[in-house]
Amino acid sequence: IGFLLRLQRTGQTQPCLSGQLSQRSLTRPFSRAPHSAASQARLKLRTRLAVTLLFGGGLLGVWWYVDSEKQQRLRQQRVEQLRKVALGQGAFSLLDHTGRRRTKQDFLGSWVLMYFGFTHCPDICPEELDKLSAVVSALDRDPSLPPVQPVFVTVDPERDDVAALARYVKDFHPRLIGLTGTPEEVKHAGRDYRVYASAGPKDEDGDYIVDHTILIYLLSPDGLFLDYYNRLKSQEQIVESIRNHVHNYVSL
Amino acid sequence: MAAPTSAERKACWEARDQLWQCLDDNNDKIQSCQKFQRDFEAKCPAQWVKYFTKRRDFLKYKEKMQTEGFKPAEGPRVNS
Repeated sequence: IGFLLRLQRTGQTQPCLSGQLSQRSLTRPFSRAPHSAASQARLKLRTRLAVTLLFGGGLLGVWWYVDSEKQQRLRQQRVEQLRKVALGQGAFSLLDHTGRRRTKQDFLGSWVLMYFGFTHCPDICPEELDKLSAVVSALDRDPSLPPVQPVFVTVDPERDDVAALARYVKDFHPRLIGLTGTPEEVKHAGRDYRVYASAGPKDEDGDYIVDHTILIYLLSPDGLFLDYYNRLKSQEQIVESIRNHVHNYVSL
Repeated sequence: MAAPTSAERKACWEARDQLWQCLDDNNDKIQSCQKFQRDFEAKCPAQWVKYFTKRRDFLKYKEKMQTEGFKPAEGPRVNS
């Protein structure tokens, strides 16, 4: 902009014009042979304006291209990161709420929505399981999607035995499977998904609250962790996200 | 001690909601809501009473922070 302004001023002070212009033609490669001083100034102005705009446009184009490459790279990095974190790589072996032994193998081939909680939970687990059940029901209504398997894994194996789970899961989606086991088995499964769980102090009734990660995990038919949904995600948002994952899914 | 059933959970939540409504209407004066307090403690396990009470305290505190702002604690000045 600076040299454009200088050019305009040059156009108005005619006596000094030719001297300055000849100096400019030596230093500036874009100058042409002068006709009249004023029209030459205008011509140069137009040329320089056009050049500036083209240069600016070119810069913008390059910036836009580099930025879109960067976005693409960031997206790929996130997928790589999730793969590297590779939650759910291990094999778990637990008992379901009917007493049947279930391993990770049993769930391969299905999309799984998994939630960790405990039956003595005051409000959060029932709310999240209600949300999860509503999500699965909504997905059930879409004929283009395969059935999603909801799973509830306890973080309180001391109290949540098979009978306790059976009483609990019947209040939610009919396909909801509850999983429990020995403290070791449950800890192993939780560790696999980096689930945090910490039992609070027992009161005089022996009751206690277990502080734990509140997340719904989405697992692909390959058994790999694909996505997670926290308390802030609504039923509709989760349904949309799962629909996207299913449609974009490429089997390994 | 078996976990509360779905019906028991709902009964507890309703008792809690009625108590909180009473407290909201009476400017958190617990004396005016004794009946609801007793009902709440009867319908909910002791752990849940403690949990929900703490939750209400937290929600009130959060509301206060959002509406009134906060004064940073005055401690010894650190030379920056």
